[in-house]
Amino acid sequence: MIEIKLAAENAIIIYFGQQSSDELLDEIAFYNALLKQELGELIVDAVPSYTSLLLSYRLDKISHQAFSTRVEQIITTNTWIIKLTRTDVIDIPVLYDTDVGLDLAFFLDCTGLDLKTVIQLHSEHKYRVHAVGFSPAFAFLGTVDSRLRMPRLATPRVNIPAGSVGIADNQTAVYPVDSAGGWQIIGRTPMDLSLANPDNLTLFQVGDTVRFRSIQHAEYLALGGQL
Amino acid sequence: MSFRVIKSGFMSTIQDAGRFGLAHYGVSQSGVADEQAASWANHLLANHFNAAVIEITLGHFECVALDDADIVITGADLNFTLNGKRIAMWQQSHIVKGDKIHCSGPQKGQGIRAYIAVKGGFNTESLFNSRSVNVREHIGQALHEGDILDSVVTMSKRLKRSTPTFFRPDYSAPLVLRFMPSYQYDFFTPQQVDTLLNQTYLMHSASDRTGCRLDGQAVAEVPPNMISEGIAYGSIEVTTAGQPIILLKDRPTIGGYPKIGTVFSLDLAKLAQRQPGIEITFKLMMLDEAQRLRQQFNTFFGIK
Repeated sequence: MIEIKLAAENAIIIYFGQQSSDELLDEIAFYNALLKQELGELIVDAVPSYTSLLLSYRLDKISHQAFSTRVEQIITTNTWIIKLTRTDVIDIPVLYDTDVGLDLAFFLDCTGLDLKTVIQLHSEHKYRVHAVGFSPAFAFLGTVDSRLRMPRLATPRVNIPAGSVGIADNQTAVYPVDSAGGWQIIGRTPMDLSLANPDNLTLFQVGDTVRFRSIQHAEYLALGGQL
Repeated sequence: MSFRVIKSGFMSTIQDAGRFGLAHYGVSQSGVADEQAASWANHLLANHFNAAVIEITLGHFECVALDDADIVITGADLNFTLNGKRIAMWQQSHIVKGDKIHCSGPQKGQGIRAYIAVKGGFNTESLFNSRSVNVREHIGQALHEGDILDSVVTMSKRLKRSTPTFFRPDYSAPLVLRFMPSYQYDFFTPQQVDTLLNQTYLMHSASDRTGCRLDGQAVAEVPPNMISEGIAYGSIEVTTAGQPIILLKDRPTIGGYPKIGTVFSLDLAKLAQRQPGIEITFKLMMLDEAQRLRQQFNTFFGIK
């Protein structure tokens, strides 16, 4: 059941389902692209996230009633059937080591797993981008193997270094810049994901596929990683 | 026309109408915190609505003109002086090379943000489609001593334009925030909505351009956190502790607290001028009225 609700005097939010799933991501991506194609000049911003799509629109061109009606018509007259086939995978090299994995020792203790298993479970899985937010280029990746699911730290860290790879419940992510945060940090990528490189802004889009690749110290340093 | 910053004050940044079209990459809206005061400043100079202005928060800013310029100062009365003498706000002023503009801090219970606009707007670097600085996102930087600010236009026709007294806001007036029932409004019980409507909140000191926190009697048994979703300007999140947070221009693009409603955008302009500790109440507003008032505002100031 698709539901449209008011978000602001110039915005509506469309709910496509209750639970996030890879299939729902594809469905939202389909309608997002369709709505942008049909209503492009009326849409200011479109923010997909897990189960929903927030649309803000040009109030100088269209009212809430008229905009909602157009959106409803487009959604009801176009059924999502085609699965978008994405072949490109964003590859992120990660050093899984206590030198850079601030919570790795604690993480191993809590999960009762050894490092080799953690690396295997984290890096052999393909993740989908379920949302982008918190800060630019921060991609929420799902879904983490059930054996690796750990809650956020009770007290968030004041500073997590850029590139840190964290886990919170069934999600994993890379911190693009130094920031405060409560995810359990198990490793670090030498990749610069900050906006110092403006291309990083568009690196992750909801629906993209991401994979982590385990690297050793030598490659980490060769790729510009800091210890 | 250009200026050199002598003192940056507590927090002074360049802002325009905001950064749009990139929210799906996690980039926040940004832009002037008080759209009403900033729009008047640009309007009086016949600038484009998106012209970049200086947003001075809590005062103690000082700059010197390196050329002649036409400027307008609006917003909070921070005791602005030109070469030590009071300079009128809400109207165009012609200043000459060497002139120093200075301001002190806000008066108790009065507005906290002032805007300096220059003919043509400040020509700072445009980052991701906007000149708005967002410190939290590391997009641009707050102004520093020694910064040189150029403007786009060097010539202008002198116009003596000013904001009619009737339209100059009183930032010490009691603030009633009008909001629309939106998002998870229906998840809250009538009693929970009444808790929001029937009390006077105090603005918490941990408020900034990202969000305004309020202190009051807690809303009991708040609905649980949800799957994160896109959050609109003015969304009223209710935290697990039952206190409202109103999300402003520098808010993140997504969030997971349940939202009881969305504050009307022009009331957020008023909120941006209030000091911690002031009293705030809520009132429901019809969507039609919000759209009509916002449309009027957009038409008057040429906002697209």
